[in-house]
Amino acid sequence: MDELIQTSPNTSVPDTDLPLVEIQDVSMRFRMPSEKIDNVKEFVIKFLKRQLRYQDLWVLKNISFNVQRGESVGILGRNGAGKSTLLRLISGIIEPTTGCITVRGKIVPLLKLGAGFDINATGKENIYLNGAMLGYSKKEMQARYDSIVEFSELGKFMNMPIKNYSSGMLARLGFSIAVDVKPDLLIVDEVLAVGDVSFKKKCAEKIESLQKNGTTLLLVSHSAQQVETLCKKAIWIKDGEIVMSGDSHTVSEAYAADSINPK
Amino acid sequence: MQKKYIEVTDRKDRIKRSFHTLTSMVGRNIHNQYRNSTLGILWTLLNPLLNMVIITIIFTTILGRNEMDGIYFPVYYLSGLAVFGLLRSSTTNALPCMVVNHDLLTKTRIQHEVFPLSNVLSALVDFCFTALALFIVMLIFIKKPGVGFHPTLLMTVVPFLPAFLAFCLGVSFILATIYIRFRDIKHIYNVVLTLWMYLTPLFYSVSYIEGHERIKMVLKLNPMYHYVTYFRQLLIGQVPSPMTHLLIYAWGLGMFGVGFLVFHFAKKKFLLYI
Repeated sequence: MDELIQTSPNTSVPDTDLPLVEIQDVSMRFRMPSEKIDNVKEFVIKFLKRQLRYQDLWVLKNISFNVQRGESVGILGRNGAGKSTLLRLISGIIEPTTGCITVRGKIVPLLKLGAGFDINATGKENIYLNGAMLGYSKKEMQARYDSIVEFSELGKFMNMPIKNYSSGMLARLGFSIAVDVKPDLLIVDEVLAVGDVSFKKKCAEKIESLQKNGTTLLLVSHSAQQVETLCKKAIWIKDGEIVMSGDSHTVSEAYAADSINPK
Repeated sequence: MQKKYIEVTDRKDRIKRSFHTLTSMVGRNIHNQYRNSTLGILWTLLNPLLNMVIITIIFTTILGRNEMDGIYFPVYYLSGLAVFGLLRSSTTNALPCMVVNHDLLTKTRIQHEVFPLSNVLSALVDFCFTALALFIVMLIFIKKPGVGFHPTLLMTVVPFLPAFLAFCLGVSFILATIYIRFRDIKHIYNVVLTLWMYLTPLFYSVSYIEGHERIKMVLKLNPMYHYVTYFRQLLIGQVPSPMTHLLIYAWGLGMFGVGFLVFHFAKKKFLLYI
């Protein structure tokens, strides 16, 4: 079965020579009000007193890089470095302030534990709900249901509302759905951090087998070790700028050294 | 304007994604609404019926009127209530939808328009139940003046609902956008909705204020007046004039257009305030 998939490249995307993700000179600015005003009353008062002030925050500055098909790229950086913003930009959830992003293929983002789930619904209902958000009808998800449940190893919890799930179980469910639909680009934001050791190992194996079939992985982490084991390439972001990019081993080492002894 | 995010995929794929999300969200809304009540869907039927009983007792005993504009009063009232109820439930549900679905908005790739739209469609399901309640009442009072099942009722489905839903969706778009920035719009809108309800002839008739031309003018500026009157005309077997059709479509498409534009251009600023 695996061989069969390997020999038939993804037909939905014809331009296989072009990079899967192209990021050209992207900057992102957040305009934060210095005080959070969320009602008309305060707004009018502050407006009349001329106290409306904004603070510009450049979360990302002139980021450019390409991700080729079948690559695995880890994005390293400390909290608040702009990693998650970058992933949200690539997923198309927010638009960059300047610059351009081109994505060629089917993206499945796993940006948060349990995003796209209804916590009151059961695991089974959530598989269909999440599938719908990825563009699959209930019927198509029914065909995938068994393999998703099998991979997640959550068979006996399927009829339980997911508000009773642990974070590890949520991660399992989300990840199992995401890998089952065989995306061109899988975007993972720290979600795997909560899984147990055996599941992490299983995920690593799954990611490797998906890569052989042409799936690209984009992983965000502040753990150099995780990036080193899962990715071949890495990008290190600090204060919204790329500090270093290249081979994951070299970048991880430099990043690890910097975290212990910051310059 | 230069495009900043380009997704090279099948257009069909994106539409399919939005469509499936929409259907599953409508399903989820309806499911959640009735999950925790033992009477379940029956409530949606009972609610307008009980409401109607109260208002009918009050108006027929105090005012001593049995009919209005040639329609038996309970039917007159319930028909107005059904139409206004669709606006009320769709807009009040859509109002906080962007904030409630915060997680989906910031972490998944759903077209933002899906959220208000799913609420309007869920309200349409409620409307169907209210219409069912109305038909039950009509069956009970079939002998009363102005009550009967006319073929014009079918026009509710085609010329009427699309125009009215476009109107509700337009209002929902605007409210959902404002709510992101200003949370107290919820209270303001509640007051506006009450005023709006009294400005719509639900339990009175325009013929009451014959002679008060100015009040009548105000009433006719209210789009809900036209929607409610249109629906009642269908109930008594009249085909509304081309002018009325033009009015309800102008309001519907106009409101939809304005709402969509407001929503679309405020979209980029959304994520900061949620």
